[in-house]
Amino acid sequence: MSLFGSLNIGRNALAVQQGALQITSNNIANAGNTDYTRQSGRIVSAGDQRGGNGFLSGGGVDLIGINRNIDNALQGRLRSAVSDNNAAGTAQQWLGQVESVFNALGSTGLDGQLSAFFNSWSKLANAPQDAGQRQVVLTSGQGLARSFNSVSSQLDGIQTSLDQNLSGVSGDATRLAQQVADLNKQISVTEGGGNGQANNLRDQRDAALKQLSQLVNISTTEDKGQVNVFIGSQPLVLGSANRGLSVQQTIVNGVSQASLAFQDDGGPVPATGGQLGGLLAVRQAVSDVQGQVDGLAGNLIFELNKIHSSGQGLVGFSSTSSTNVVADPTAALDTAGAGLAFKPTNGSFVVQVTNKSTGQVTSTLVKVNLSGTGAPTTLNSLAGDLNGVSGLSAAVVNGKLTISGASPDVTFSFSQDSSGALAALGVNSFFTGTDASTVGVNAALTGNPQLLAASANGSAGDNTSAVTIAALNTKPLASLQGLTLRGKYNSTIINLASNTAIAKTEAAAADNVQQTLEAQRESLSGVSTDEESINLVQQQKAYQAAAQLVSTVNQMLETILAMLK
Amino acid sequence: MSVTPIQLARISNSQKIGRSQSSIALTQARLQQVQDQLTTGRRINAPSDDPGNATVAIQLQQVLDKRVAYADNLTAATSQLSQVDNSLANLTALLQQAKTLASANVGSDVSADQRNSAAAVVQSIYTQVLAIGNSQFGGTYLFAGDKGNAPPYVEAGGGVSFVGSSRTLANVFDDSKAIGFTVDPQTIFGGLSARTLGSTTLDPALTANTRLSDLAGAAGNGVSKTAFKLSNGSTTATIDLTGADTAQDVVNRINAATVGGITASLSGDHFILSSAVVGELITVSDIAGGTAAKDLGITATSSAFPVTGQSVAPKVTNLTPLGSLFAGAGLIGGGGIQLSNGTNTATVSLAGLTTVEDLLNKINQSGVGALARINANGTGIDIVNSAQGLPLSVGEAGGTIATQLGVKSFSNTLLLSDFNNGQGVRTAGNGNTIDFTITAKDGSSVAVDIGAATTVADVLNAINAAGAGKVTASLATTGTGIVLTDVSGGIGSLTVASANLSNTAEDLGINGTTPGATLNGRDTAPLQTPGVFSDLLSLLKALQGNSTAGITHAAAGIQSDLTQVINARGANGAAVKSFQSRADDLKGQNLATESLLSDIVDTDYTEATTRYTNLQTILQANYQTTSKMLQTSLLDYLR
Repeated sequence: MSLFGSLNIGRNALAVQQGALQITSNNIANAGNTDYTRQSGRIVSAGDQRGGNGFLSGGGVDLIGINRNIDNALQGRLRSAVSDNNAAGTAQQWLGQVESVFNALGSTGLDGQLSAFFNSWSKLANAPQDAGQRQVVLTSGQGLARSFNSVSSQLDGIQTSLDQNLSGVSGDATRLAQQVADLNKQISVTEGGGNGQANNLRDQRDAALKQLSQLVNISTTEDKGQVNVFIGSQPLVLGSANRGLSVQQTIVNGVSQASLAFQDDGGPVPATGGQLGGLLAVRQAVSDVQGQVDGLAGNLIFELNKIHSSGQGLVGFSSTSSTNVVADPTAALDTAGAGLAFKPTNGSFVVQVTNKSTGQVTSTLVKVNLSGTGAPTTLNSLAGDLNGVSGLSAAVVNGKLTISGASPDVTFSFSQDSSGALAALGVNSFFTGTDASTVGVNAALTGNPQLLAASANGSAGDNTSAVTIAALNTKPLASLQGLTLRGKYNSTIINLASNTAIAKTEAAAADNVQQTLEAQRESLSGVSTDEESINLVQQQKAYQAAAQLVSTVNQMLETILAMLK
Repeated sequence: MSVTPIQLARISNSQKIGRSQSSIALTQARLQQVQDQLTTGRRINAPSDDPGNATVAIQLQQVLDKRVAYADNLTAATSQLSQVDNSLANLTALLQQAKTLASANVGSDVSADQRNSAAAVVQSIYTQVLAIGNSQFGGTYLFAGDKGNAPPYVEAGGGVSFVGSSRTLANVFDDSKAIGFTVDPQTIFGGLSARTLGSTTLDPALTANTRLSDLAGAAGNGVSKTAFKLSNGSTTATIDLTGADTAQDVVNRINAATVGGITASLSGDHFILSSAVVGELITVSDIAGGTAAKDLGITATSSAFPVTGQSVAPKVTNLTPLGSLFAGAGLIGGGGIQLSNGTNTATVSLAGLTTVEDLLNKINQSGVGALARINANGTGIDIVNSAQGLPLSVGEAGGTIATQLGVKSFSNTLLLSDFNNGQGVRTAGNGNTIDFTITAKDGSSVAVDIGAATTVADVLNAINAAGAGKVTASLATTGTGIVLTDVSGGIGSLTVASANLSNTAEDLGINGTTPGATLNGRDTAPLQTPGVFSDLLSLLKALQGNSTAGITHAAAGIQSDLTQVINARGANGAAVKSFQSRADDLKGQNLATESLLSDIVDTDYTEATTRYTNLQTILQANYQTTSKMLQTSLLDYLR
């Protein structure tokens, strides 16, 4: 209990208020920094001092540390909300692009083309000999094929962009993970010597973690100041070690598939959230849509060709060649060895040979034996059988069947194919190709529209085949599990629309959650300039008071010293 | 708009700014959405905007798209049938004119010269009618059925052959079945003879290549390609016919199942089951709901081998081998078919023919107007006369082939009522019974009363009974007609003369005399094809030949043609009307669907505009509160 004791208290008080002012000024300076965590000083009253009279008196004030106002559990929840939000947002954005490929509610989309195509066949049935309407059927067929091609290539384009994005984002994630690992090390070094936390380094690490959570779903654990980062149950960052992410391309069934892997051991990354999770989910969704569109195109091609290949045009063929290549002409037509995308079944078809000068038609049954009993029909044997038909010569050239009239006086046509072999091989077919990317209209027809098969009974003016093809539009197909072609299209579109709508709703919900959590975080960790202003005033006044104290003690000391003169 | 709950102790600066930013962004996004709805006029711009309603919208659009084709088809059908109506109006006028000419020239006061000049007019009418029959619409012959790429009525050998088709084209005009939009030319101009030759069921045998789709089936319902059960008491196998194509496939599947020693084979027109194991009990039954075994005619439980199935009635097709006819017996004996149209005679020999199609081709190419085809049920072959103005006779060429095929035009079973173009055979009247008298070569006279004869066989019997020992009557072995053969052995002439002024002998084609022993009668019952051309040609001939009876007969024919054309025009008019009313219905349906679609996808402008104004107000409020809030700070007051 001495004047010097009071002087000392005043000196400490000045120093503590200066320190507090520094914290306040740091807070005010970072008022606009969303990564910043509000700091506050831990100011305590200093320990008691025993005076000369034996009493204990207060020792003034002391600044013993600087706190970060943070709730680590809340940070974790916030990061997971950010991951969800980014995953949903990414999905919404990309699925919207996929949806726009179909232009489903417009008149120029695939749906409109399908309608126009089948309508053109229905109209051909009004005037099966009309050259103009034949051209319309071919043109609308080409339009439909181009629509399929375009949808397919746009979906491919989206897949390519997705893959590019995936590798870009995984690179970013690797860099951020590296940043976290580096900061772990720095924090460990900085905090290792003394007491107190490396608050600003920790802020930087939290910022990096938040950014990382935008890219991929992460969870964290803290161990002696170091943060370990996990994706699912797989560690990404352990202390100062970063495993890194990479994108691997694998070919599955001829389709390139991208997947995420850890750089160090190539192990799979269970990414379900963040932009990476969103991109991977969209990639799968686009693959599904591609598969459905290819299935739609494939069914259209095969089912329509089955009808068309049993029909007849205004004129017969003088020669024709199949459009689909058979890999092994000695393999049974329905085996993998033959390599046909569409599989024929056991059955038979009739080939009619017409003598142009007499008009005489001779029909011959050609069997396609795929019954499992007896020698199965191969491309070679089929060519042999056709070659044996009087007036025809047939051969296998480069895996394709070529058939021609033995003399210029002979034309030929096909009918009653119960095997689907003609459609499978692409003989007398309307469409070529096997899926959405390859579908096209047979060049033989565009070269000679008279070969378009509107007739099914051999009479040039018959329209049965055209009527049957027009009805294919709404015919339930066993190959589509009882759905019609249009039903299949509709289910694809509606599936996609539902997924997109769900992503939109999820994005809105996740955004809401993130905002709520961010508000909570801000409420705890954000800087309020109003609050800091009040602190400032308080500190200013405390400093003034302490200074006044020192001045008062000084006067008292001078009074004592004056007595000594 | 979602509002973050406020239960917070402190509000930081970033939080204030963030909240303002997000609420402004959200309001602007909503404004953008309404703006899109207002500018595009659509409430749903992508299916994901409202997947449930988008589904309905897409389906409604597809319905509308489909109806575009229906509307086009209705227009095409209406204009096609209107064109037909036009042609029928012209045809009616021409036939009226021909009828008037016929009436004007039938009287006794008309000279041969006058009739000749009338003939020139009829010639012109005939030419115009032929032009109508061969008229085109949009590049298609209107009256050619499904053979619209060639003129359907062709002049040949003094007659008019119908080479078109009676099959009308059908198309869809709504979601139900297809309906016809072309006319059957036969109902207007005539085309094929009413009399059809071909009464015999040809019963082809099963061959390894017989397709299951070409079987009428044991129950007449075809063959269902489903499964059935085959059992020998201890082993039961299910034989699945899915994917089976031919009769041989069925045999193979039964044999491959190896149920005991049971094997299957083909025989005649049926399947046969047998077993290598003596006494084995063969049981074939259908699975519940299936009919495959019944259709194949092999439902049985028996240990008596072989188990013979019922006939599966294979149909006659173009591909049917001639040798397989009559359950595999084929056509017996040589010879062929003789076809004649009065001026030309053709003989179709079976040599070198293997399939039914070959035979049909030969007959159709014989150039006498005969049209051979497989009958509608696929049980045999029909021959009809496709030439108006020319008769068609089908007889034997030295064998019995025509009889076996059932295509002989002058047969024992031919009805007398079919003679003379349906006018029948006249018998002696006025209480007389003797119809004609045959004078045999030995001078003896045979009086023949055909009495109540109704068929050729009855007539032959009557002659043979009356002329026993003197003369016999039979059918010509080559060609057609009745042949009288003298067996009296005299040296005179064989003569058939009318008795009691009866026309019987003339109507039967046997009046006449010959120094030889056989009198070959004429075919007075060929197939005649009625129709406009036939009657106009008759009128022409009658006018040129100055025959009043002919003119009267032709006039009657033209009158019936006229009735037929007027009826056809009426039916056609009704069809046009029905297509037009369908088109009107379709317009109404489209209106309803479009309004439904509009309700779903189109913007409700009142609602959207209100929302737009509302959102603008909200945005202004956002701006104002933000600017006020950000401007005020405690620092302003700490001075």
